[in-house]
Amino acid sequence: MTGVRTKLVSGTALIALAIASFAFSYLHLGRGSIGIAFLIAGLKTLLVGVFFMEIGRERASFKLALLAGVLLVAALLGFVASDVRLRGAPPLPPPVTQAAPAV
Amino acid sequence: MTRAAATTHPPTHDQFTTLEQQAQAVKIALGVFLASEALLFTSIFALVTAYQSDWPDAFRIGIAHNTKVLGSVNTLVLLVSSTLVALAVEAQRADRKRIAGALTLSTAVLGVVFLVIKMTEYAEHFREGIYPGGHGSFFLEHPQHGLPTFWTLYFLATGLHAVHVTVGTGLLTYRGIRVFRGSLTHSLEATALYWHLVDVIWIFLWPIFYLA
Repeated sequence: MTGVRTKLVSGTALIALAIASFAFSYLHLGRGSIGIAFLIAGLKTLLVGVFFMEIGRERASFKLALLAGVLLVAALLGFVASDVRLRGAPPLPPPVTQAAPAV
Repeated sequence: MTRAAATTHPPTHDQFTTLEQQAQAVKIALGVFLASEALLFTSIFALVTAYQSDWPDAFRIGIAHNTKVLGSVNTLVLLVSSTLVALAVEAQRADRKRIAGALTLSTAVLGVVFLVIKMTEYAEHFREGIYPGGHGSFFLEHPQHGLPTFWTLYFLATGLHAVHVTVGTGLLTYRGIRVFRGSLTHSLEATALYWHLVDVIWIFLWPIFYLA
């Protein structure tokens, strides 16, 4: 069964990538470390999607449903990223608490 | 061998004319469900990213406080479980019911292992006075702005994921027993797809809350 071999190789690759991600987290690369961690997470997702979920073998209708999800996810992340990057200071300062006047 | 040849199919429901049509409808519904789940968890990831940009130091403290080893062991547990359920689907296609059932039940056992490790982590957090909403003695000792938000998002994301793991473990147990007995008339593919989604969600939760 070639399918079994494919799944075993994919599983081994996933574990190797997880170990690599764990090792990179100790290198203290600053902001680069989260970039590497997400890059590896993306690779692992690709492996799961292609070899475990076998999305490539599914019909177009199933792929279309997933594509709609991917587009919505991209739109959500895009809008949040632009909001975080472009928003200014809060319009109102935080409320100042004052001691109640003595009666 | 075709993908469905190994499985004895149930009769079609009234609204479908062929088994193929019925199976395709299930697949489309599953695709929409998976997409909606991805959107749900992405909204939480986006919240974490947005608040992290506001309070990077507080989030760094929170991540450093998490037990990296336990989170990483859980990652390995889910990756192995995902491999096992993928192998179970292959075994079912080859009409090897006993092996398929054993692999599915092994996946369920790993789901329980994941939950036990997660509950161990939660118990440790509660012992330290870390509760959702910024409640507990931990926050009196660590008054940094943003820490309550970090821990609330942590409990929200990992708790919601744990609910998904619990549901998946139940499904895998039920289906695994039926496959093992040879009484399952459906393919394992839908359950396996759900479990892979649970795995993919954790693939992103792990770096966000343990490695970043």
